[in-house]
Amino acid sequence: MSAVPLRLDNTLETPGERAPLVLGDSSLAAITEQICEIAERPRPSRGWLLAFGVSASLTAVLFAMIGYLVWTGIGVWGVNQPVAWGFAIINFVFWVGIGHAGTLISAILFLFRQKWRTSINRFAEAMTIFAVMCAGLFPAIHVGRPWFEYWLAPLPNQMQMWPNFRSPLLWDVFAVSTYFTVSLMFWYMGMVPDLATLRDRATSKIRQIAYGIASLGWRGSGRHWHRYERAYLLLAALATPLVLSVHSVVSFDFAVSQLPGWHATIFPPYFVAGAIFSGFAMVLTLLIPVRRIFKLESLITPRHLDNMAKIILATGSMVGYSYIIEFFIAWYSGNPYESFTFLNRALGPYAWSYWIMFTCNAIIPQLLWFKRFRQSPWLLLVISIFVNIGMWFERFVIVVTSLSRDFLPSSWGFYVPTWVDILTLLGSFGLFFTFFLLFLRYLPIVAMAEVKSVVPAAGLELGPHRGHGQYWGEIPHQHDEEEGR
Amino acid sequence: MGLGADGMNASAGGRRVATRYWRSLQELVDSPQFRKRMEEEFPGLAAELDNPATAATRRSFLKVMAASLALAGLTACRWPKERIMPFAYRPEGYVPGVPQNFATALELGGAALGVLVKSVDGRPIKIEGNPLHPSSLGAATAWAQAAVLELYDPERSTTLVRREGGQRRVPTWDDFLAYAGAQMAAFESRRGRGFAVLSEATSSPTVQGLRDALLTRLPEARWYEFEPVSRDAERTGLAQVYGTPLRARFHMHRAQVIVALDSDLLYGHPEALRHAREWGLARRGEDGAMPRLHAAEALLSVTGAAADHRLALPAGSIAALLLQIAAEVARGGVALPTGVGSLSPFAAGSPEADFAARAARDLLRAGQRGLVVVGPGQPADVHAVVAALNDALGAVGWTVTYVADPDPGRGPHLEAIGELAAGLAEGSVEALWVLGGNPAWDAPAELEFAQRLAACQQTLHLSLYDNETSRLCRWHLPRAHALESWGDVRAWDGTVSVVQPLIEPLYGGRTPAEVLAALLGESAFSAYDLTRRSFAARWGSGEDPWRQALSDGVVKGTAWSALAPRLSVEAVAEAAARLAVPPARGRELVLYADGKVYDGRFANSGWLQELPDPITTLTWDNAATLAPEDAKELGVKHGEVVRLTHAGRSVEAPVCVMPGQARGVVGLALGYGRQAGGSVAAGAGVNAYPLRTAAAPHVLAGAEVQRTGRRRLLATAQEHHVIDTLGMAERGRRVGSLIREASLSEYQRYPEFAKNPAWTNARPLWRKIQFKGEHQWGMAIDLSACIGCGACTIACQAENNIPVVGRKQVANGREMHWIRVDRYFAGDPSDPQVRFQPMPCQHCENAPCEAVCPVAATLHSEEGLNQMVYNRCVGTRYCSNNCPYKVRRFNFFNNFAKVPATTRMVFNPEVTVRGRGVMEKCTFCIQRIEAGKIAAKNQRRPLRDGEIVPACAQTCPTKAIVFGDLKDPDSEVSRLHRHPRAYGILEELFTKPRTLYLAKLTNPADVAGEGEASS
Repeated sequence: MSAVPLRLDNTLETPGERAPLVLGDSSLAAITEQICEIAERPRPSRGWLLAFGVSASLTAVLFAMIGYLVWTGIGVWGVNQPVAWGFAIINFVFWVGIGHAGTLISAILFLFRQKWRTSINRFAEAMTIFAVMCAGLFPAIHVGRPWFEYWLAPLPNQMQMWPNFRSPLLWDVFAVSTYFTVSLMFWYMGMVPDLATLRDRATSKIRQIAYGIASLGWRGSGRHWHRYERAYLLLAALATPLVLSVHSVVSFDFAVSQLPGWHATIFPPYFVAGAIFSGFAMVLTLLIPVRRIFKLESLITPRHLDNMAKIILATGSMVGYSYIIEFFIAWYSGNPYESFTFLNRALGPYAWSYWIMFTCNAIIPQLLWFKRFRQSPWLLLVISIFVNIGMWFERFVIVVTSLSRDFLPSSWGFYVPTWVDILTLLGSFGLFFTFFLLFLRYLPIVAMAEVKSVVPAAGLELGPHRGHGQYWGEIPHQHDEEEGR
Repeated sequence: MGLGADGMNASAGGRRVATRYWRSLQELVDSPQFRKRMEEEFPGLAAELDNPATAATRRSFLKVMAASLALAGLTACRWPKERIMPFAYRPEGYVPGVPQNFATALELGGAALGVLVKSVDGRPIKIEGNPLHPSSLGAATAWAQAAVLELYDPERSTTLVRREGGQRRVPTWDDFLAYAGAQMAAFESRRGRGFAVLSEATSSPTVQGLRDALLTRLPEARWYEFEPVSRDAERTGLAQVYGTPLRARFHMHRAQVIVALDSDLLYGHPEALRHAREWGLARRGEDGAMPRLHAAEALLSVTGAAADHRLALPAGSIAALLLQIAAEVARGGVALPTGVGSLSPFAAGSPEADFAARAARDLLRAGQRGLVVVGPGQPADVHAVVAALNDALGAVGWTVTYVADPDPGRGPHLEAIGELAAGLAEGSVEALWVLGGNPAWDAPAELEFAQRLAACQQTLHLSLYDNETSRLCRWHLPRAHALESWGDVRAWDGTVSVVQPLIEPLYGGRTPAEVLAALLGESAFSAYDLTRRSFAARWGSGEDPWRQALSDGVVKGTAWSALAPRLSVEAVAEAAARLAVPPARGRELVLYADGKVYDGRFANSGWLQELPDPITTLTWDNAATLAPEDAKELGVKHGEVVRLTHAGRSVEAPVCVMPGQARGVVGLALGYGRQAGGSVAAGAGVNAYPLRTAAAPHVLAGAEVQRTGRRRLLATAQEHHVIDTLGMAERGRRVGSLIREASLSEYQRYPEFAKNPAWTNARPLWRKIQFKGEHQWGMAIDLSACIGCGACTIACQAENNIPVVGRKQVANGREMHWIRVDRYFAGDPSDPQVRFQPMPCQHCENAPCEAVCPVAATLHSEEGLNQMVYNRCVGTRYCSNNCPYKVRRFNFFNNFAKVPATTRMVFNPEVTVRGRGVMEKCTFCIQRIEAGKIAAKNQRRPLRDGEIVPACAQTCPTKAIVFGDLKDPDSEVSRLHRHPRAYGILEELFTKPRTLYLAKLTNPADVAGEGEASS
């Protein structure tokens, strides 16, 4: 691949002129080469091996912890009475939140015709899938008798028992599993043309067969593209409400209960904003090093980072607003339990966690008002990591502080995580990164076909009816191929 | 395996090796571990191995093994051989699987508590009070209820043990009989000189008869009685003024004013259950009257918590306060003996003077309906003056009655043990038989009783456990548990009960009577025959009186009659003169009997260790309690270990900061820190006995407290961690609405004070749920009556197979009790008011737990019960999160995995033993509800009110808990639900609890002194 000749600042908004979405050598062949090369390296780099070794070890730790848990009982965790939910639920909500960015980028930005999404959507969607996988793990292991978990599914059974449809936990089961299914389909379907490219470029039999199977016989015919575009659009339309619903439903786990600090109508929008916030932060956390390591700066440009930073700023401000309004409502409602819960959050024994949360989520992202912070990848990385930490603590604050001091002071308690809790959390990161590293190694990490539709060569500048998802009757790529561009 | 090393030790020990062959087996036999295992597994064989005549060869080993195997089929049965036979005819009244109740009695410190024991197919599983028994009236203390767990304790002594020359051998009962005969023969020739018996306090007429027989045959033998926790000061004090030892009995329901000085008469008294019942019934204010309680005490007690006026005062100043009260009474015109009533140690305007003035004013007004009580920790002189005060008020015969002491000839316990220790030291006691008790551990420290005992060559200890004393004695005999034995005991008031066994002795133990009979060479070496003989001689021969006694659990008309003793004015004056010295200065250490493990004898009971202390809510530990100001002054925090030093002896104990404790006082419970108490007792608390001397058994003046800087995690059932100011303030704000209370006069003016019209009249958004069941169960808990003793918690634990989780889990908030007793403090931390609130599942009609369970494992029955379906529960714990009362309990582990097979016999077969990963909670004792319904249906009659009683309500000493059918408008519970004092806790959440609380009534004197303590 040719070197990027000049650093063009595509973050300036020049009236009357579109800033290029992709910089550098944006010929279609160069893009193909650049992306496929990553997945086609004969052997992984030392850094990758090291990272994979660490992640896989942590994954092994995760499964060891799960084994220990299932063998011994929930008591190996720090949960108690009254704090009956602990790290498992915190981690679940945290990972589900992370899992919001991908589908938001793929589906909502697609419908809003935000073409800059093409460079990052594959990546973000992959992250979503892995995050939701990590998330799904926790409700499964957090119950007392995981071997009866299937009772939560509405399966016909000899007991003639349905699950309790009034329980938000059941809604969770539906919401998360639907979200995961749709996200997976969306991700995989969007990847099919790129997988076919990898298949076509494969030099070994194994790769040929593997990518061949995975690409489902894609030939790039006009009819294929047509079906593909239609299906993509439909899935985007299907996924869009799910982005909003899944975290709303997760928030119902708390909001539907009557615990002070949980029982709040603000929870659904607040959770969705928080989820997008944390999801984008995680995308940035992963993207900035990857972009550098795989030299994708021309595809994932400062403009992309800038856009994401703006979304983080927006959602972060919403989250910060929620934090403040919660206090207002607690006071304004006149509910003494609620008032105490919030005072206790800010000043009680868990105040440190509250202030970590508040600083990381409501204060630090405000730096993104400054362009310098939005465009300096490393500053942005630091901020995004803070946001990740803050969002984990947000869930900690919600789950633990509310439970530890509820109505009757006689039953107040204190929660301290055990080493099993902490290793399980670390292990879930191991699982996430294991999948993620495998994705980096074997799959097209940027949606080549989609990026090609927004490069100058695609003729996006020539008129409105160009590009992926732009004109739903035409099949633009077909012509590109024929004309040999 | 370390076999080689052991083998070498064995060779070095120079034991004779019978043959060259099997050398390794010989070594194996000689290794201590193997020897120990042998004794556990083949007790007889271990003795065989020690017998030089049949020194274990391979051949003899195999012979013994073969014989054991052949006999295994027989010996494995718990029942003795002669009883194994099928029922040809079913015994009358016995239906397999249907529980039967037997009346028996349990004895503690020489006073009996009559109980009914529920037995299922020959297995006693639950102990309840015997309503016919005057000390029980149907209630049972925590320790009495836990006796059934003690019965099944696998760590109880299972064999006889002989310890000689560092060897531990397992003799048989025949060996013991031979030894007893030899002892008798040896000492009879010397008229018993050098022979002594040390008995724990016992009221058994049979044992007393045998004692008399023994002392007739061995006139110079000595019989000592010792209890570490005793009421001898009261006995001595009464003897001082009445000339003969007397026993005082208090009648709370007749009292209008009670002044309790360092006395826990509602909790720490042989008749505490009766006191609590009388107190609980009198304190409801139903007829516009209730007694008023003034309490002055060093440590916050259950009685102090119930008081209307409480003064925190060092125990050493109680005498001064008493004199001050007496002076005020005398000033009121009541004639008191000279020397009493002339001294006012406290300056006017001090809190002590105010307290005394107020108490005296009430006492004067009450006259003979006044009552002054003083605790056993106070010196005899205080008791003497109190007796004079009661006498002057005219209370004797009315609120206090005196009965004769059953054994007027015996000396005080502390003197007896001192005499014995001296005898051992100078060699005048050559042989000592210890029947019960644990003197090596709990005798006064300066006597160095353990060393003296170890030095004695002929010692024998009969005990439930192979404990500290047993290990120093040459012989140890396993004692039969009270539930395994025949016997007879007397209650505090003298009422006789026959103790009958519920089960054959699990480990072949014998009773003290049997051991004495063996010593006397009685042909009837059987507790049954001894008891029967003794009974026939005293209370009528023939079957009828015997059977009646067994059936009732009491022998009617055997209570001692009240005496009208004559007070010696001179003695009172002398006692008062001795008291008229200023109390000792300096920090005071108060040692007290624990409410759960008592003097330490119940330390191996998981139920009792895990029962939260009513006041500190501590489990599995005792602690040095300190007033908050003292803790601040010393710079120590809750849980910090301090060294307590008194007279050169010291122990280290963690600090528990207790509001309401007197300044300058450190409290420490006895009974913890057992060295050989069993695996449950191990590591629980610190041993306070090393500080305790005969001169200062309860109140140790001039103690020092030093910081050590170390910490110990204290497992409290409430406030699992030290609470911050913010939480403390909020708790203070909430208590008022959780526990509603008013004084009696306020209640009379505003009967509906407990109702909150905003919530009782508010209309919910949703339609009220209609329950169609034939019965609608509900509960009412009267906070006026509840004294917070925690008997309900143990009753529930026994009834519902509630697991014990251990100190670590309690510290992490994972205790499993279905009914807890919440304790709150209100007001000034230095003079707090204490409030208790029993908290079972509220069985909300609109239960928040039910809506959130994803698998519908918790549901409502048509009879209004919130039910938990264990085998449907997957364990999401969401229900617990959504329960505003936090009464749900989760099995974080398999809590029964490590319960030994013997202990599993205590399980109630009618209640599921819950597995790990499921939620559980109070069921309102649904098994009892169903049993009651079935019984009524079989008899084709409607259920009667009060027929179904949950375990907590059954055992409640104050009858604070009432259960019944709300659909029956005439039921007691319906009446209480309609009561003006009834309110639902957290009613603003519209959970519609089926458990209502009756607001607490107090009866303080008005500030102006206008408040009438009326009755």
